[in-house]
Amino acid sequence: MSNHVTEWLNAYLDDELKGGRLHQVQSHLAECQECQAELKSLQSLSSLLRDGPVPEFISSERFAAQVSLRLPHKQPVLKKRSALEVGWWLIPVGLLILWVFINTSALVSRVAATANEFGLLRAAPAWLVVDSSQGASWSETLGEFGLLNGNSLEWAEFTETFTRNKLPLIIWQASIAMLYLSWIAILWARHTPPQQGQFLKS
Amino acid sequence: MVIVFETNETEIVIRAQGGDRNAFNELVRIHAQGVLNVIFRMCGNMQLAEDAAQEAFIRAWLHLGSFRVDREASLRNWLYRIALNTATDMLRKEKRILPGDLDDFYLPDPRLSPEGVYLQSEQTALVQAAISSLPDASRAVLVLKEYGELSYREIAEALDIPIGTVMSRLNYARRLLKEKLEAQMIVLKEAEHV
Repeated sequence: MSNHVTEWLNAYLDDELKGGRLHQVQSHLAECQECQAELKSLQSLSSLLRDGPVPEFISSERFAAQVSLRLPHKQPVLKKRSALEVGWWLIPVGLLILWVFINTSALVSRVAATANEFGLLRAAPAWLVVDSSQGASWSETLGEFGLLNGNSLEWAEFTETFTRNKLPLIIWQASIAMLYLSWIAILWARHTPPQQGQFLKS
Repeated sequence: MVIVFETNETEIVIRAQGGDRNAFNELVRIHAQGVLNVIFRMCGNMQLAEDAAQEAFIRAWLHLGSFRVDREASLRNWLYRIALNTATDMLRKEKRILPGDLDDFYLPDPRLSPEGVYLQSEQTALVQAAISSLPDASRAVLVLKEYGELSYREIAEALDIPIGTVMSRLNYARRLLKEKLEAQMIVLKEAEHV
């Protein structure tokens, strides 16, 4: 008889099989003496384990009294946890506020620069107006001295403008995104059961 | 009746989480024997089992706030998990401890003759020694199944492992036990016939 159901016999013995698998094991057992013998052997083992004499433990009342004597007076976890939870939720909120602030600042800065180009901000303080024409400086200088020209000069100017204006903003946002994702990962790890640490992974 | 019991236990847990020591004491009384049995089967030494069970309940008291009564998790499974972890920690610390003299801790069957009592105690010692020789992970699953009487799903929940892993560890543990006890039971049977 092939296709023995040995691997499912423990689950069958423990009444953990259902549906098609249960039917498959039952049908096989009806015909296979080898698996019947294996099942009997498992049943004997289970009886040997369970039917032995019961250990005489200390009474529950006495045990509870002993535990009571050793219990620490305060139970710190519950209150600490609620305070910790509030603080914990403030982290992503703070990060979101920072992100909105940076984006808003960049937007206002761009609007101010555009307005300045149209001459609308002559009376405005200097710090508000960002000189959008401030694109490339070292690449222009290299161009003036004839060290760069044509496509090379254009690429150098583009790279310098990007590095100076866009890259800091991208780095900021990426940093915030990384912080946020790290926070999510830590939160997930903290809230994943079990509450008493991992058990016996071997 | 089960529903009423669970509701009452949930109320007791909530009171204990609020710092009510009497409520926690009640929980200790309810689960003491189960926890003691699981730890004893895990470590095979009565004195160590009592110490570990006390330590387990103290850990449970300190971490009770992290037990979610709103989830479907059972307090018993949660306590068993703590109990097994505590037992494993204590066994690692107390490697020198050998299984105690089990005769002093078992109630002999009054129907047995003195010779029968002797054979039964021999058998009990052999069984416990075989269980103690299993790897920690498989032993924990076997103990929760045979002595904690948990279902596969409950064991998976208590140990935070997939049900498939429960099944494979249980298969492995029983296969090893059969090998160990078959050899030892033959010796015992031969002794019986002398």
